[in-house]
Amino acid sequence: MAMKKRIKSIFVLGFIITIVLLSIIIFVNKTLDKEREKVIDTQIEEVINGFNQMQTLLGMGDTYGNRMTCLIFENMLQDLDKSIWELGQKIDKYRQTSEEFFKSPYYRQQKKFFNEKEVFYLNLLRGVKQKCGFNQPIILFFYRNSEDCKKCDDQSFVLSDINEKIDEEISIFSFDIDMNLTTLKILNQYYEIDEYPCLVIDDKRYCGMQDKNIIMKNLCMIANISVCPEYG
Amino acid sequence: MNPTYMILVYSVWFLATYFVVTLILILIANRKSLYENRILKDGAPFPFVSVVISAYNEEQKIEDTLKSLKKIDYEKMEFIIVNDGSSDKTNEVVKRYLDDRRFTLVDNSNNKGKAACLNQGIMIAKGEFIATMDADSMASPDILKRTLPYFDEHAIGAVTVSVEARNPKTLLQKIIDLEYIIGLSLFLKLLSTFNCLFVTPGPFSIYRASVLREINGFDENNITEDMEIAFRIHKAGYKIKSCIDTKVQTILPNDFKSLYRQRKRWYSGAIKTYYQHRDMIFNRKFGHFGFFIPFNIILITLGIVLFLYSTYLGLSKFIENVYYYHYTNYNFFENFFDWHFDILAYSGVSVLSFTAFLGTLLIMFVGLKYARVAYSRKKLGMLGYPFIFFLYQIFWIASYFAVIRGRKVKWR
Repeated sequence: MAMKKRIKSIFVLGFIITIVLLSIIIFVNKTLDKEREKVIDTQIEEVINGFNQMQTLLGMGDTYGNRMTCLIFENMLQDLDKSIWELGQKIDKYRQTSEEFFKSPYYRQQKKFFNEKEVFYLNLLRGVKQKCGFNQPIILFFYRNSEDCKKCDDQSFVLSDINEKIDEEISIFSFDIDMNLTTLKILNQYYEIDEYPCLVIDDKRYCGMQDKNIIMKNLCMIANISVCPEYG
Repeated sequence: MNPTYMILVYSVWFLATYFVVTLILILIANRKSLYENRILKDGAPFPFVSVVISAYNEEQKIEDTLKSLKKIDYEKMEFIIVNDGSSDKTNEVVKRYLDDRRFTLVDNSNNKGKAACLNQGIMIAKGEFIATMDADSMASPDILKRTLPYFDEHAIGAVTVSVEARNPKTLLQKIIDLEYIIGLSLFLKLLSTFNCLFVTPGPFSIYRASVLREINGFDENNITEDMEIAFRIHKAGYKIKSCIDTKVQTILPNDFKSLYRQRKRWYSGAIKTYYQHRDMIFNRKFGHFGFFIPFNIILITLGIVLFLYSTYLGLSKFIENVYYYHYTNYNFFENFFDWHFDILAYSGVSVLSFTAFLGTLLIMFVGLKYARVAYSRKKLGMLGYPFIFFLYQIFWIASYFAVIRGRKVKWR
């Protein structure tokens, strides 16, 4: 009888310990989710700060002359491109770990805000390009969610692969059409986009899935990029 | 992640962790009585023991088995070797031992199967206790003096011993050796503490003769007769004890093909046995055993479903990735070394998998410690041990298919 009681208490204790372990794991997962939110928030903030600095610099260029500010712009553009690229990579990585987070209204609001700022940055960049005579190609990537646009994820993969190598020589802007932003709708109408994914490379439209070779050939036609010899 | 998959992952994790945690608690609670050091002393009544062996084409291995029998330190015993219609010289090897009057050879001209041969031996056995042994196993000299004291009450129907590997040479054998030390010795000992021992291993187990006769010996239609008989011993109201103070050594599968054959037999037999004795499931009459069996079935089945589901998801992801790479001229390795560790990139499932892996390591280290085996002697086996279970999942799936399709799984 005593033995039976002892075994029973072991079974109960085992159950309690398992529940405690499970609670710890759930807590760790929740903490990781929060950390992911924090990391993305911080990075979004850094990028937006960069946009603001650019805007200030652009204003300073008008007062103090372009020669001085264009040099700073060049470095700044590279840093900003890198930050945006890293942010995109992180979002992509974390999306696979915590789908819940990316479906949350908070994240969607942040993304909307960021997309809005990206349009603002695009306009700034165009201004800077004109002022400082930079010939860095700009790629606009219009996409929709993967359920409505099967090829959008594929296109995103190809652009990531390209950016991995020539991050400093190009600028890529990714626009989620499902965000329903007025600014994006204007861009959409301006470029007459009715099929997704769609790329705009220096104002020229390429809708439908584009593989790496095609994109590189088009880029090489408009700019002298370091990897162009590989693509004839 | 899709919700079904998450529910499955958390369920398997919870059941497996509960099982491991409970076993470790039982181990801690019984750590001082694992090795009971009971031994029959001179002057005590020595009951007569019959050792029954079924042999089929064992001419290469049976010699060592017979030699080990002769070395058993016990007076009152007999050895009954049933030759199961071997086509080699097994009977000639056994005949060389017949000068020793303790040996009897039953020479069948036809192959009847292991269980039938054991029953033949049981029929003519004179012992108050009957030990059954595999023809490729070697018993320790103290095996009877150590196990017989466990029959200290009438309710004890059988006693098992530690099953260890005999000269493990290949990496695979070293891994299985470790599995035997933990799974077929310590694990069975722990199960016996709450009367849930569900197998009396074929390499050596000893039974009360009256119990064997009461339950009509081994089931000749069951491929895992050593497991099936354990169920009927429980059903008849007897207990099975485990003695890990002594051991039997057995030959391990030496390649994947023979391991697959062995496991397919074990697992198919287990599935059939569970089905055959389904009336015991959740039956309070059989105490913890009635609940342990369904727990085991649920855990194994969910584990298989999870393995299949994970394999499907993994393969889909792999194919998707390969598909992606066709847009970039298949430059798989171009960014291979750009990988950076980021703990935040790991999902909840990864955290669960990591803890499951830690659990396996814990079982391994705790198991070896309490089995009194030095880690340094099992280094190679320890490397492979945490991964062998993936292979067993495949064997379980094959066994399920074999049972569902009604394929007859052969002993040999």
